[in-house]
Amino acid sequence: MTVLAHGVGTRTDLPIPIGLALFGAGAAILLTFSVLLLFWRTPRLGGSGSGRPLPAGLQRALDAPALHRVLQALALAAAAFVVVVALAGPPDTPHNLAPWVFYVTFWVGLVPVSLLLGPVWRVVNPLRALHQALRLAVPQAPGAERLPSLGLWPAAGSLAIFLWLELVCPGRSEPGTVGLFLIGYAVVQVALALWFGEEWFAVGDGFEVYSSLIARLSPWGRRDDGRLAFRSPLTGAISTPPVAGLAAVVVVLLGSTAFDGLSRTVFWQSGPGASNDPVAGTLGMLAMIALVAAMYLTGTWLSGRLAGQPAAEQPRRYAATVIPIALGYTVAHYFSLFVLDGQTTWILASNPFGARGVDLFGTYRNVLDLTAVTAGTIALVQVGAIIAGHVVGVTLAHERALLSAPRARASDQLPLVIVMVLFTFGGLGLLFGF
Amino acid sequence: MSPRSPVLARALVGLLLALVVPLAGCAGTAPSASGASSSGGSSAGTTASSAAGKRLEVTIAHGKASGDTGRVPVAAGTPVTLVVTSDVADEVHVHGYDIEKELAPGAPTTLHFDATLTGVFEVELHKAGIVILHLQVE
Repeated sequence: MTVLAHGVGTRTDLPIPIGLALFGAGAAILLTFSVLLLFWRTPRLGGSGSGRPLPAGLQRALDAPALHRVLQALALAAAAFVVVVALAGPPDTPHNLAPWVFYVTFWVGLVPVSLLLGPVWRVVNPLRALHQALRLAVPQAPGAERLPSLGLWPAAGSLAIFLWLELVCPGRSEPGTVGLFLIGYAVVQVALALWFGEEWFAVGDGFEVYSSLIARLSPWGRRDDGRLAFRSPLTGAISTPPVAGLAAVVVVLLGSTAFDGLSRTVFWQSGPGASNDPVAGTLGMLAMIALVAAMYLTGTWLSGRLAGQPAAEQPRRYAATVIPIALGYTVAHYFSLFVLDGQTTWILASNPFGARGVDLFGTYRNVLDLTAVTAGTIALVQVGAIIAGHVVGVTLAHERALLSAPRARASDQLPLVIVMVLFTFGGLGLLFGF
Repeated sequence: MSPRSPVLARALVGLLLALVVPLAGCAGTAPSASGASSSGGSSAGTTASSAAGKRLEVTIAHGKASGDTGRVPVAAGTPVTLVVTSDVADEVHVHGYDIEKELAPGAPTTLHFDATLTGVFEVELHKAGIVILHLQVE
């Protein structure tokens, strides 16, 4: 059994060197100040109505329901195949495709794909096809009118469950565990969608919400008038609707990634996590989420109080500004897993059932190349991602503050900026490995 | 940000600088702390670095590992000799390097390899399901 931090993997990254950690901290502070004090005194980003529209014909083709159903059916076939391999393929993780496809290629790969192409999982979500088929038998959605009141809270819940599976659950890397989780997840999600209607997936399917949130930082968006548009990623992020539960989703993502970082430190591996005890892991993950939540709520509450804005709306008002910080953490923690251990997917895809002499794509004899990127490159990507996420986050928070109260004093934002800077130091500190 | 408040801007800079300095200090002391904890892990003093490479010894009794456990730093390229003795039959696995060897009860088993891949790698026992050490190759 592999007991590495994130589901599967053969290695973890070296702690980043002190020079890079200090440089990263300094750069984060300096860039924050440049942005805040020198360049950005009035709102600059367009709202949700801005962006250059795509040609109408292209939009018709991309929005065609038939295209979506075909893509969803293909994704459903692929997902069903992965479940079959998980349950009937080789029983040991190094030779079974399923854990690598699920934890590395799908979960980590969703990030770059959504960042480049937009909310991809919303379009190809195989659960939507499954729901569409079953709706013929159950045409009514009795809970449809209750759905808007739930906000994004269901997604925060389903993401927390998946992240617990990935980071804590005993036997998380076993193919059987992955297969059972996929079946259970599909059954629960489709049942809830039959109750609440198809729009459930947009607020309750953690993977779809995750992809859509990251897509907010892609250069593609939908304007108020329904046109698909090419626009600044910052504009997409700032126009994220401040739905109830948005802050919870972001805090769960940030907190669990922080726990992933914590579980790789010497402190954790020789202390609370030494026994690889699921109770210690669960408490550790909950503690990190609670810590991030407490810091974020304090920052937004203090900022709102200084600016005299209603307290209840503060967390969701600024939640979108934490998306880039969460994204920076994600890239920092999963980049090497994706480029190094991610190779395993393509090796095993040539022989999913481990049959003798099968080599479909001629890759089965390849060996994992753990030298594909150097330790120096990995460290640079890690520090760069965290700084970039921090700078974009602070910029967005600044813009949001200017938008909500153009005459507000600069000091009103200070608590939130300090919290974001602390997140960055926390991220760098965890990479530094204490 | 209001341009009419240079005092405020200065206060902001001061506050954030006040935040950086202690954190930078904290980062500065961290390596010795982590060094201490990993050398604390390898208590028995069996770690020996020489021209011949690095020799690590781990003994497992009643499901507990002792010797060169915890996070063990090794310079990249060093020839590593890992001697594992278990009180029950098991199988040792060095991840990343993908070296596996059967362990007979009570008999020391020796693994030789050159630490050419950088990163942090688990060395685990398959049957007991425990990680006996993390090899940090840098």
